[in-house]
Amino acid sequence: MTTTPADAAVTQAIRPQSALSEPGVAPVGDRSSGWRRRLAYLVLIGYALLMFLPFTWTVITSFKTQADSVRLTFIPNPVSLRGWENAFTELDPAIPVLFANSLGIAIAVTVSNLVLGSMAGYAFARLRFPGREFLFLLVLATMMIPDPLRLVPVYQILRSVGLLGGDLQYVGVVVVLAIAAPSIFLLRQYFMSIPIALEEAAKLDGAGFFTTFWRIMLPLATPALAAVAILQFQGSWNGFFWPLIILTERNNATLPIGLVLFQDTYSTRWPELMAVVVIATLPILLLYLFFQRYFVEGIAAAGVKG
Amino acid sequence: MADAGRVRRPSPFGAGSERRSELIAAYALIAIPIALFLVLNIGSILYALYISFWEWTTRPREIIGIANYQEILSDRVFQRSVTNTIYYAALVVPLQMALGLFLAVVVNQKIRGQTFFRAAFYFPAIASSAAITVLFIFIMSPGGLFNEVRSLLGLNPVFQLLGFGPEHNWVGNSSTALNSIILLNAWTTSGTMMLFYLSFLQTISREVYEAAAIDGAGPWQAFWKITFPLLKPGHYFVATVSVIGALQLFDQAIIAGGSGGEPANSLTTMVLYLYREAIREFHFGYAAAVGIILFVIIFGATLVQRRLFGQAPSW
Repeated sequence: MTTTPADAAVTQAIRPQSALSEPGVAPVGDRSSGWRRRLAYLVLIGYALLMFLPFTWTVITSFKTQADSVRLTFIPNPVSLRGWENAFTELDPAIPVLFANSLGIAIAVTVSNLVLGSMAGYAFARLRFPGREFLFLLVLATMMIPDPLRLVPVYQILRSVGLLGGDLQYVGVVVVLAIAAPSIFLLRQYFMSIPIALEEAAKLDGAGFFTTFWRIMLPLATPALAAVAILQFQGSWNGFFWPLIILTERNNATLPIGLVLFQDTYSTRWPELMAVVVIATLPILLLYLFFQRYFVEGIAAAGVKG
Repeated sequence: MADAGRVRRPSPFGAGSERRSELIAAYALIAIPIALFLVLNIGSILYALYISFWEWTTRPREIIGIANYQEILSDRVFQRSVTNTIYYAALVVPLQMALGLFLAVVVNQKIRGQTFFRAAFYFPAIASSAAITVLFIFIMSPGGLFNEVRSLLGLNPVFQLLGFGPEHNWVGNSSTALNSIILLNAWTTSGTMMLFYLSFLQTISREVYEAAAIDGAGPWQAFWKITFPLLKPGHYFVATVSVIGALQLFDQAIIAGGSGGEPANSLTTMVLYLYREAIREFHFGYAAAVGIILFVIIFGATLVQRRLFGQAPSW
């Protein structure tokens, strides 16, 4: 395969010496006097504030009383835990149930993508077999298929194998999300960048394909595995389309689906709703704070999915 | 290269029985993903096409040829959903691209706190569509932050001139619902578009700018004469990703407008219409045909862009 800009963006992004983590700097403006720089900072800071403001507002509102929630005050008066209390006691399905559903599905989807993605990525990167190029193209082609087109057929397939009822709905969602083309693509690109000599050394020591894969290649691919893990965890934690269609049992809902259910029932009980928004966003926010690099790295590969 | 002496290097593993075990290993490693893709992706297109020729409610009833397609194309609500979707895409795509490019160029300058700003601009993209839409509905509600702030800034007379009262319900009013969603998605995706543009900006070599500076080009000229044209592959990539995403608007529409795309179908997009027909009405044959039409439109849009930018897709 020839290297394409998308390829390049991915491989470049995922290397330890990532261009994105050490941005090249355009020299334009080097000699410019201070005013342009100051203007730039003003725009940057202003825009950054605009990015954070809505979330800050969410957190503030969750600690307000119902009456206070529609006032323009940045300090809740009085500070109230009512919204949080109600969110945990009144809402049905209960928040812990939604949280557990979201977490279980996100972990299953992430692990599945790591296992299946690294296996297939390794095969496509290193092993020779008839149909390799064609099958890899087929994998990439799946990124061009819009999910809505798959709604009816996938729904019918899941129904015919009985994965649309009861707790088997969990299985249905995980099967649909079990492997995404970007996971294979990212890992394949990374495996291809690892020097082949390392494998030959292992081979001389008598290691087979699986040992080489497990002992040599996988540990070396940690950065790519981390990028895939973050990408898939975030994607499935935030996922909306397939959970909405498959998880129709009320108690199987994930946090995003539950939030929409609540929005229907509690339309203007803002403190409660904002508390749920905080709960639904916090885990990803924490991941973002600690693993920001990997978020940025996975995006180029997932980009095609929009 | 250390390997130059070797005549041929088919794989790190030798020939003969090892070759056979390589084949077995390869097919074993790709078996599950390929099977899933064949059934749930490639196969599902064909299956959707098949279903679309049927009158298929809770179960298949009879083959009716292209009747579903005829009915869809003459349906007023479907037409409305196409208009809504295209209107949305036509506005949100340029907005996303312009914002993304602007942020990327600004962040790419020699500034302090680059990493922080990049992280901050990408921040809205990390939350789920459900969380961010509910939050947005709150902010744009009659007593919400947006209305309060514009009142505080003394902007109400301006909004009054445009026909919006002080307690305007932005997402709940049919004249402003879709425009509000455009604003929302331009805001949340600008960070993603910025990251795409950044990775393309970094492929432009410094020498080009240095040469231009020697020729006396200012930063404004350098941007329009060098950066913008050299970013052509970037524009193509970002535009394609953005259009494909925009034509599939669903989450924000159904969260803000319910499955009816309220108020008055102002938020009924093509995908929402498909969802409604399939999941709410059990018109599976009909909905499958909507899916095929959607696919054709997306595919057509991609081809038009390829023409426009004169370049083959890069993936």
